Amino acid sequence: MTKLQIPIEHTTLPNGLRVVVSPDLAAPVATVGVYYNIGFRLEPRGRSGFAHLFEHMMFQGSENAGKMMHIKLVNSSGGVLNGSTRYDVTNYFEAVPSNALERVLWLEADRMRALNVDDENLRNQRDVVKEEVRVNVFNQPYGGFPWLDLPPVANRNWANAHNFYGDFADLDAATLADVQAFFKTYYAPNNAVLLMLGDVRPEEGFALARRYFGDIAPNPSLPSADTSEPPQTEERRAFVEEKLGTLPALAIGYHAPARRTADWHAAAMLDAALHGGRAGRVFRRLVLEQQIAVDTGGGIHYPLGDVFDYNGPILMVTRILHKPEFTADETIAAFDAILREVQEKGIAADELAEVKVKFRSDYISTLEGGMGGYLPRFGLMHYLACFTLFDNDPLLVNTVLDGFMDVTPQQVQAVAQKYLVSCNRAVVVRAPVRKGAA
Amino acid sequence: MVATQSNLRRSAPPDLAPERAVIWPPRTVRTLANALQVVMVESHTIPKLTVDLYFCSGNAASLQVAPGLAEITAAVVRTGTASRSSHQIEDDLRRMGADLSTGASSDSSSIAIAGLSEFSRPLLELVADLARNASFPPNEFERERRQKLEEVRIERATPAFLAGERLRQILFGTHPYAVISPTEEQVHAYRREQLVEFHRAHYVPGNALLIAVGDFSADKMLAEIENIFSGWTAPLPTKPAYPEPPVARGRRVHLVHMPGNVQTQVTVGNLAITRAHPDWLRLSLANAIFGGAFNSRLVINIREQKGYTYSPRSAAHALRERGFFSTNAAVRNDVVAATLTEIFYELDRMRALPVAGDELSDARHYLSGVFSLGLATQDGLAGQLATTYLSGLPEDYLETYRDKIRALSADDVLAAARRYFDSANSQIVVVGDRDQVGAQAALFGDLEVVDTLGRPL
Repeated sequence: MTKLQIPIEHTTLPNGLRVVVSPDLAAPVATVGVYYNIGFRLEPRGRSGFAHLFEHMMFQGSENAGKMMHIKLVNSSGGVLNGSTRYDVTNYFEAVPSNALERVLWLEADRMRALNVDDENLRNQRDVVKEEVRVNVFNQPYGGFPWLDLPPVANRNWANAHNFYGDFADLDAATLADVQAFFKTYYAPNNAVLLMLGDVRPEEGFALARRYFGDIAPNPSLPSADTSEPPQTEERRAFVEEKLGTLPALAIGYHAPARRTADWHAAAMLDAALHGGRAGRVFRRLVLEQQIAVDTGGGIHYPLGDVFDYNGPILMVTRILHKPEFTADETIAAFDAILREVQEKGIAADELAEVKVKFRSDYISTLEGGMGGYLPRFGLMHYLACFTLFDNDPLLVNTVLDGFMDVTPQQVQAVAQKYLVSCNRAVVVRAPVRKGAA
Repeated sequence: MVATQSNLRRSAPPDLAPERAVIWPPRTVRTLANALQVVMVESHTIPKLTVDLYFCSGNAASLQVAPGLAEITAAVVRTGTASRSSHQIEDDLRRMGADLSTGASSDSSSIAIAGLSEFSRPLLELVADLARNASFPPNEFERERRQKLEEVRIERATPAFLAGERLRQILFGTHPYAVISPTEEQVHAYRREQLVEFHRAHYVPGNALLIAVGDFSADKMLAEIENIFSGWTAPLPTKPAYPEPPVARGRRVHLVHMPGNVQTQVTVGNLAITRAHPDWLRLSLANAIFGGAFNSRLVINIREQKGYTYSPRSAAHALRERGFFSTNAAVRNDVVAATLTEIFYELDRMRALPVAGDELSDARHYLSGVFSLGLATQDGLAGQLATTYLSGLPEDYLETYRDKIRALSADDVLAAARRYFDSANSQIVVVGDRDQVGAQAALFGDLEVVDTLGRPL
C-alpha cells in the first residue's frame, strides 16, 4: 500500500486566518472553500435553526457585492457555488475555471469583512428556509429521519439536542440584530480557514490570501462553548409519527468514542463492518438474509457526515426501514443479535482486512470528488478544513488512514462490547399513520 | 503587495485572468469483433478506475412485456451468476475496494463498477460475469420484488415523484416514455422468466457500450478488455417502433390530490428535443437564462425576490428519441397561483424579448465553464463520455462544446425559447391538497383531479 502524498502547504496570516493550498495543475480548474468554526451545535439558545438561516444570509450581499452578486459573479465565471451548515462548521465553496480564482477570493473576503444585509433580505430568506424545511422534512416521506429525530432523544446538552433546522417560531423571532451579532462573533478570520485546491501554486495562493484577507480584523474574544454530553445511564426511546411513508422505520444511535483515540479507530472499523453497504452485517442480515428490513443504512455521523468531519459528541447511527409484518421490538431484537455476534465472537481477520481495503478506497474517492463529479476535490477540501480547524494539522489528510489500518480484530470486539450497550443508546421508532398504498 | 483597507473597501471585483486552455484527454475508441463498443480514457488523479457497461435497452424497450422490467432485471443481475453467490459478489467487491451499481433508465441498462486499479483485471471479470452469466436466483428475485413493492408505495407518497410521473404520462400518452414506474399490480405480476429473457435478449455486446476511465495504461486495458469480452457473442435485439406522443393543444391543469400536504409541488412542461437535435445547445442556453442556473430569471424572481420556494429550477430533459422541457418548484400553499403567474411571465418574456446586457454572455460563460469542471474527476469524465456516446453525438462533441456555446447569439436564444418554451400549450401539474390549492390551479386551465394512483376524483 503506497502512502498518500498529496501536496499540501499551509500558513497562518497575522489576523489568524489559516490558509491551506493543495496544488494540482493538471486541469485549469480551482476549488475554493471558506470554513467557519461555527455550526448548528453552537447557535444561540432560543434561536434554533439560526446557524443555517445565517448561512443563507451570507449569500444576500456584502459591502462591495450586493444581493445576487455573489451568485452572478461565480456563475458567470463558469463556476458553481454553495454552502452548508453542519454540527461544527459552516462552509462556503466554489468550483471555477482557474482564471476566476482571484475573483472568488475577492468575493469571499468581501463577505468575511462586512456582511451587508437588511430586514427585507432576512424576511425573504426566512421564507426560503421554511420552504426548504417543508420540502426536505414535512412534505417528504421520512423527511429529516433520523438526523432531526435522533439527537433530541440521545442528547441532554441543548447544543446537541435541539432542532437543528429550526422551529418556525424561532426562525420568525430572529432579528437583524441577531444576524449582526452572530456575524461579529463567529465570522472572524481567526475562526476560519481558507482553502485553495487545484490549479493554484502555493506561493500565489498565499499572496492572494494576504492581499484580500490580510486586513480583516480578528475577533480577540472568540467564545468557547461546552458541547459535552453528561454520561448516559439508561436507554432512551421515543416515538415519532410518519405522516407520508408507508413502512415503519427505526433509528438507533450509540454515543461514539471521542475522535482521535484508539477506540475511535476501532469503532470506525466496526462501523464499516456493520454498515458498509451490502456486504455490511446489518444490510446482509436484515435485508438479504432474514428479510425483516427493506433497507438499512448507517454510520458514525450518519447521514450528515462521516467519521472525520465533526468535533464533539457524535452518534453511530443505524437506520432501518422494515416490513410492517415485523414489530419494532422484533426488528430491534434482530439488530441486537447482530451486535451480540460481534461482541461474543469478534470479527474474522479476513473480514477486517476487506473492510480496511474498502475504507481506504472510499477515502481516496472522497478526496477526489464529491457532489456528482462537478466539485472536484470537494472531499479533500472538506477534510483539509476539518483537520485544520479541529486538529490544527491539515497534513493529517496524508496520514490519518494509518491508525485505522492498524486496528486489530480484538480491538473491534472490545469497542463493540464497550460502546454498543443499551445504556449508551437511543432508539426512535417512526411509525406510519397510513398503511399501504393510499 | 498588500492593499490597504481603504482601497479594498471600495473595490470592484477583479477581472478574470487569461483563460488556460481546456484540453480533453485523448480517448481510445474501439469496436471489438463482437460489436462491443469500447471507450477508454486514462486518468491518473487517484489509483482507481471506473468501468461502466451500458446496454441500449431500458424500461421503454421492456414496457410491452412489463413496466419497469429493465429496472428489476438490473436489480437482480447483481445477486448471482453461474459461479458466484450474492454473498460472494459483495465480498469480492469489498475485497477490491469496489462499489457496484446496476440500474436502468428509460433508454438503457447499466452495470457500473468503481474500485482500486490494482484490481482492474478481476473487476473487469466481475462486470463480464454479471453481463454474461447472471443466474437470477429465484429467492433473490422474490426478495427484490417485495422491496420494489415497498418502494413503489413510498413513491406514491412523494410529491416530486408524483409530479414527474404525471407530467410524463400527459406529455407522452401511448409512447413508452409515459411510464416511469410500475404499479403494485404490475410488480406482483413479474415473473422470473421475464427477467431471464430480457437479460438474454438485451445484455448483448452489439447493444453495449463499455466506458473505462482511470489509473491504467490504455493499451494494457484494451488488451484486457479484448481478452475478457471478445468470446461473448449474441444476436442483436430487435428494435421496437414506438407510437407518436400526442400533440398538446392548450394549457391544462392536472392536480394530484394529497390531502393535508403543507406544500405544493408545481410542474410545468412541454415536449422538446433530444440532445442530438441541432437546436440542443440553443435550448440549453435559453434554459440556463430562464431557470437552469442559480443565477437565472426564475430563481431570482420566485426565490430571491419573492421567497415562494427553496429550489426552483427548469431543465431540458433529453431521452434518446424524444425530449421535454419542464419547470419545477415546491411552494407554500397560498402562492400556487402567484407562482404559476410568475413562471408564465418569465416563459413569455423569454419568447417575446431578446436577452440583453450581460445575461447572454454570463450564461454562455456559465455553461462552458461548468462543462469543463467535469474534466477533473474520473466520475465526471465517465459521465461526459456516457452522455456523448449513448446519445450518438459527434466524436468531437466534448472538444467543440465550449466554442459552440460561445458562438450563440441573442437571436438563437429567442428562437429556441419560441420553439421549445411552449407557453400556450404547457401542461401544468400540481401535487397538493385540492381543498387548499385547487381553486388557484383552476385559474390556469381546465382542471382534472386525480388521486395518487392516477384515478379521477
